[in-house]
Amino acid sequence: MSIKLNVIDLPKDDYKGGPSSLCPGCGHDQISNVIIQAAWENGIQPEKIAKMSGIGCSSKTPAYFLGKSHGFNTVHGRMPSVTTGANLINKDLTYIGVSGDGDSASIGIGQFIHAIRRNLNMVYIIENNGVYGLTKGQYSATAEVGSKKKKGEINMSQPIDLCAVALNLGCTFVARSFSGAKKQLKALIKAGLSHKGMAVIDVISPCVTFNNNDESLRSFGYVRGNSNELHVIDYIPQREPVQEVEIPAGNYRDITLHDGSTIRLETIDDTHDPSDLVAALAALHRAEEGQKHVTGLLYFNPNVETTEEQLNLSDTALLNLKENQLRPSKESLIEIIKNKRG
Amino acid sequence: MGYIVNDCVINIATANGTGSQSANLIILQALFEMGVDVSGKNFFPSNISGLPTWYVIRVSEKGYQAPGDQVNFQILMNKATWEKDIQSVKPGTVIIYNSDVKMPVEREDCIVYPVPMTKLAKKIHPKLAKMIANIIYVGILAELLNFDSEKLELAISKQFLGKEKAIQLNVDAANAGREFFKENFTKEDSYTIEKREKDEDAFLVEGNEAVALGAIYGGVNLLAWYPITPSSSVAESIIEWIPKLRLDENGKSTCAVIQAEDEIAAVGMIVGGGWAGGRAMTATSGPGISLMSEFIGLSYFAEIPCVIWDVNRTGPSTGLPTRTQQGDLSMLYEASHGDTQHIVLIPGTVEECFEHGWKAFDIAEQYQTIVFGFSDLDLGMNKWKATNFEYPPEKMNRGKVVISQEQFDKIQNFGRYRDIDGDGIPYRTLPGSGLAPILYRGTGHDEDGVYSEDPEVYNKMMARLRRKIDGSRTKLPQPVFKNNDAKEIGIIYYGSMQNTIQEIDDILEATGIKISQCRVRSLPLSPEVENFVSEHDLTIVLEINRDAQIYGILRKEIPITLVQKLHSVAYSDGLPPKANVYAEKILKKINEVRE
Repeated sequence: MSIKLNVIDLPKDDYKGGPSSLCPGCGHDQISNVIIQAAWENGIQPEKIAKMSGIGCSSKTPAYFLGKSHGFNTVHGRMPSVTTGANLINKDLTYIGVSGDGDSASIGIGQFIHAIRRNLNMVYIIENNGVYGLTKGQYSATAEVGSKKKKGEINMSQPIDLCAVALNLGCTFVARSFSGAKKQLKALIKAGLSHKGMAVIDVISPCVTFNNNDESLRSFGYVRGNSNELHVIDYIPQREPVQEVEIPAGNYRDITLHDGSTIRLETIDDTHDPSDLVAALAALHRAEEGQKHVTGLLYFNPNVETTEEQLNLSDTALLNLKENQLRPSKESLIEIIKNKRG
Repeated sequence: MGYIVNDCVINIATANGTGSQSANLIILQALFEMGVDVSGKNFFPSNISGLPTWYVIRVSEKGYQAPGDQVNFQILMNKATWEKDIQSVKPGTVIIYNSDVKMPVEREDCIVYPVPMTKLAKKIHPKLAKMIANIIYVGILAELLNFDSEKLELAISKQFLGKEKAIQLNVDAANAGREFFKENFTKEDSYTIEKREKDEDAFLVEGNEAVALGAIYGGVNLLAWYPITPSSSVAESIIEWIPKLRLDENGKSTCAVIQAEDEIAAVGMIVGGGWAGGRAMTATSGPGISLMSEFIGLSYFAEIPCVIWDVNRTGPSTGLPTRTQQGDLSMLYEASHGDTQHIVLIPGTVEECFEHGWKAFDIAEQYQTIVFGFSDLDLGMNKWKATNFEYPPEKMNRGKVVISQEQFDKIQNFGRYRDIDGDGIPYRTLPGSGLAPILYRGTGHDEDGVYSEDPEVYNKMMARLRRKIDGSRTKLPQPVFKNNDAKEIGIIYYGSMQNTIQEIDDILEATGIKISQCRVRSLPLSPEVENFVSEHDLTIVLEINRDAQIYGILRKEIPITLVQKLHSVAYSDGLPPKANVYAEKILKKINEVRE
């Protein structure tokens, strides 16, 4: 049996990573698989990709895809700055950043904002579940008002919509998707990889373990009531991945999650013009009013200079400059000293 | 009458933002052009306009550069500090003041010269009178101290380089000051300036500009920074020099500069740049280092080369932003949580600022870690005499970086964190090379860079990191010794104290105490420092802070039998060190020890 190769004659295995250590059935693993598929289908040389992340469940995932690419699992909320530095030294790589809602909407919102402002050339994937997973279920800044935590406290703070933030900052590629919407997500990541500039893709990726809703609570209460209480917090239920869904354009539909709760998704209407910033914002606000999510490519503007273009740097990536291009001549120093001596 | 030649202190009291800095630098430059040993220090507030500023010029035939203890010429331009300034001077001081300010000067025990500076300035240029008034006192001083007219004009033309109109206005104003003095006053003080043969190699430069030029010649290709006093002029100076020194054949820059949103982003960018294979640096001060600490630990643990210059200001907290201190050193040495240890370069002169400026990149890449340059406001923002910046004598040292398959194939049992050569320094490959790719991480990792919480793996990794940094002790800039034959009392000091040490030494020698000097130039400490301690009966550790920071490091690192020989003299009031203040404390400490 012949192995299927991509446009640069590489098998998909060349794009795979190590085994995941996330909770079984986690939506993040589905996103990793979509990244693998998208990079393979796009025919990017794996060694010419750099995988960047911060801290959190999402930020662990670069270990699970693109094993032939260098990566950097940095510090909490600071992936954008590290990516900025790497990009300025080596502009020839394709940068894929993976972050979460805690990483980008809370501790790292400043860096999220400024990387967008500079139009850093990268794909910025947010694996958004509204909750801190690795520290076991605290609210993130994207959790809705009124959502209930495991222990019963109700979230009273307004959520931050990272797509709305990105749009208002002039982000050049803004999309929202869902970890179970494989086809749509793949299309968006592939498009993001081809985009020159900042491609923000906010992917709703419900947490199978710490989901913040009544059903989830009930479910955990049920578990707690039916097992040894000391072990309740550590109990990780075995679940199947979220079912794949295909939503016809212009419609919405409720999708059943692992624990019986629902998420309402709407595919943005075919008539939506992704170059219309006001329409993109209106779509987000309308969805919010109707307590729905709107997914798809919200906004796209390919005509903005990227960070490294704004800086008028050498055509050669700075990494590849020779010593005589980095260190000025001895004569130039003698001249400086001569002028200073007067 | 015999004059005291080339030995006096001039204190100019002005308000921030009135243009007095140009006038003060002209006096400094004119003296320098006359071949006279001179230093100038700016005592300025954290303010753009209006608050009091003092500029102190020390003329010293012996080359002393610390602020003098007694002011001989006091110039009064600032109403806000008027009375305090008058009260602070000793009998016999010359007081020159702007009589148009209409403030009283009642010091019959002083030599007082009222000068209508604003009126004189208005005659020259009514609109610019406020700025030009400053140059009137330059003229008065020039006449009083017998400045060479040609050299004064040269200093003015250097200050206003190429701006012919400004040069002429200022020359006229200086002459107006001179004439006014001749017509109205006679000299009564006993100080004068005599021309000396000027060292043709000498020039004046700020430490921050020296660091910047060093970085440029060190091949910096990413500068990420966030403005903070007193480090901003390091970055601004690099930015200024790039168009002259670092454009390629197409006129495009070979060094990326990015003003980050904060210090955390600045350090994140240089860690990213170093990871990608660049020579990345930032410049900051203490508050910035506090913010950068998490990334500093990442650089240490993930072994990413990058360079941070800390131009120390007075802490803690926001502290005294426009004052100086050696208060960050122990923080730099062990910055970030967990067990860490960092290389710190400590220049004491502007020549060393340049040298360490380029060397920092070689060392960072050689040891694959963060390297600090440690300067301070005094060294960084004041002008100091230099005679040369020596061009780097060797090619760049890029360290153990593997860039080709051929190189890679020669390495047996490659692992990103495997100690193949026994020096604690592993080999690294770069993103984009396709050679042994790993996911770099700040979490525990094994020799191949794979996540690990294994106790033995962790312990071995930390031991290697320590061995790696320890290996630098004999390779970093080594201590500089002076009078090291006395063997009785030793003084260990570092950084900008270099500018005051000789005067301290002379004061001590006048009391019959001969000392040997050991100037530390890097951390971790060279074994030569330990030798120095063992060779002396007692050693004073002298520093500009409260908590005896390098003394603490020494106590921890030298054999316990030597610790009793160490005695700390640590003092900081935010000002550059005055020789007699520290000399007195040293004498007191020596007496205590000997009792």
